[in-house]
Amino acid sequence: MQRIHQVSALLFVAFSAFVMKEALDMEYYTRLGPGAGFFPFWLGGLLGALAIVWLFQVSRRDGGPRDGAFFPNKSGLVQIGAILASLLATAGLMTALGFQLTMFLFLLFLLRILGRQKTPAALIVALLGSVGVFHIFGRYLDVPLPVASLSLLAKLGL
Amino acid sequence: MDTLHNLLMGFAVAMTPQNLVYAFVGSLLGTLIGVLPGIGPVAGAAMLIPLTFQMTPTGAIIMLTALFYGTQYGGTITSVLLNVPGEAASAVTCLDGYEMTKQGRAGVALAMAAIGSFIGGTFATVALVFAAGPLSRWALEFGPVEFFALIVLGLSLLMGLAGKSMIKALMMGMFGMILAMVGMDPVRGLPRFTFGHMELMDGIGFVPIIMGLFGLAEILENAEKRFGPVFVSRIGSLVPSREDLRRSVGPIVRGSVIGTLLGLVPGMTGSASSFLAYIAEKKSSRQPERFGSGMIEGVVGPETANNAHANGAIIPLFTLGIPASPTVAVIMGAFLMHGLIPGPFLFKDHADVAWGIIASFYVGNVILLILNLPLIGIWVRILKVPYGMLFGIIMAFMVVGAYSVSNSIFDIVIMTLFGVIGFLLRKLEFPLAPVVLTLILGPLMERSLRQSLEMSQGDIAIFWESPIAVVLLCLTALVLFAPAFKFFRRGKGSLAGDDEGA
Repeated sequence: MQRIHQVSALLFVAFSAFVMKEALDMEYYTRLGPGAGFFPFWLGGLLGALAIVWLFQVSRRDGGPRDGAFFPNKSGLVQIGAILASLLATAGLMTALGFQLTMFLFLLFLLRILGRQKTPAALIVALLGSVGVFHIFGRYLDVPLPVASLSLLAKLGL
Repeated sequence: MDTLHNLLMGFAVAMTPQNLVYAFVGSLLGTLIGVLPGIGPVAGAAMLIPLTFQMTPTGAIIMLTALFYGTQYGGTITSVLLNVPGEAASAVTCLDGYEMTKQGRAGVALAMAAIGSFIGGTFATVALVFAAGPLSRWALEFGPVEFFALIVLGLSLLMGLAGKSMIKALMMGMFGMILAMVGMDPVRGLPRFTFGHMELMDGIGFVPIIMGLFGLAEILENAEKRFGPVFVSRIGSLVPSREDLRRSVGPIVRGSVIGTLLGLVPGMTGSASSFLAYIAEKKSSRQPERFGSGMIEGVVGPETANNAHANGAIIPLFTLGIPASPTVAVIMGAFLMHGLIPGPFLFKDHADVAWGIIASFYVGNVILLILNLPLIGIWVRILKVPYGMLFGIIMAFMVVGAYSVSNSIFDIVIMTLFGVIGFLLRKLEFPLAPVVLTLILGPLMERSLRQSLEMSQGDIAIFWESPIAVVLLCLTALVLFAPAFKFFRRGKGSLAGDDEGA
């Protein structure tokens, strides 16, 4: 547990160093006053300094974080991975398959596979959440959701 | 007289059929979000923003603010019936509320909590009505120097009081501000941290970031747990006895005052108000030892306080343009998206909008009282929907919400990325509230700092030339360094979890 906190602190230090480096590539100060890089430079510096203080705090033997697994169970981790993968797949497929089909598959996966709901209930909610939401958003809220770029699916009204 | 005239004008705006519907929808969704596990007021408000694009600015803010204080009502239901706080602000209600449920008095607990919440919310709205004029007139004297000092003070209060570690809160504040730097430089219009991506030119949208940090991160956290079926006890009669009413008068008065006053302080969360109200009830009781065994004072006091807090927290936003909590920061973001700048100029330039929204708080509180008393059975039924079904529906709404802000699939990826970041930060016990606040306030802070330094041609002494700025900066130093504030931090530290801050 202590190692994870130390690594996290170092990641923050690296992130702040990157921000400072990028900020220095911008205008730091101009004739009129602070430039575009002034504020991010100091923010990066302060974040880095705070991360170093935190690193010292978590590295102390007595004041360090309590022991225990960072991820207590593997099945939870698999579930998290599945949720994230399904979200990225949804983002990746939405242009090609359109909102209705992508959301239908996304909801079916979440409810039937991850949520372990009964198939009829999962199907009904997936249909309402995809086709229903598409029409409500498009017609009544004036928020158009993507249609399929694949011509075959587009012809089917998806 | 002016105030009364303005308020009457506000009621004319708030009572239009369209705005009544928005207040109703906001109250309904707020109660729903308060009842449901897996989604809090911050993510809930962020999810709702894309739906408001076609509305008038007044209607949009009426709906979002109704959602905000509606969550406080909803959070009570799960605290009393299930011993599980729907919102952090209702955590302390579990102590006596659930005991009352075990005694078959859940109906009385819910009814008195709803009545207390109504009175607390109305009390804070009256305070807003009277504070609005003088505070906003005072704030009109602010230039960039004073505004910068005010934001610094607001943020230091927020960070000083957020979570258990000041270092972590400050780190999160810096992180949020760095995220806000992505996009166009607000003064010179040059791209920053865009790395040549057109999607980043307008900055990273705050809606996908907030939905990721607060909504998706919570779902990922819950994925590690197993949710069993929900068993809801019998509610019993909703009608309180004369004795219940008599014992509730004091807690309602004290809760209203505590909640409204603490709501004014940036960084004070709803849970701090309800916790202090509980302590106040225990201290003023003749039978303090009986607290935790189903005392109605232990339910009414905190519930009145957290609702007064929710309404009171709007005061700094409306008068000074400073959000006092993360959800209020999201509402501020909605203001900006609709082309309105909250603060003193709102009353000057858009008086109908400002007073219309204030009047809608009265309307919203009445709607919530109706929703929470006769319709309690519906909320109980919703509680029985399995989490396996709920989380899928919530995720679908998050995907739609993230996409529809700017019709961009890139925002779904951003939401996913910040979901992972939020999940890991929660595991590392970082408070997330400062990220939201600095994300919204960061650009305003930078603009006022740079305008101030441009006015003085780079001379930092300009900050010592304004008496208002000096006072505000001295207060900032006090907040950050004085141990006297440990009192508040201790109070918060005893409340588990990273309060979204409602």
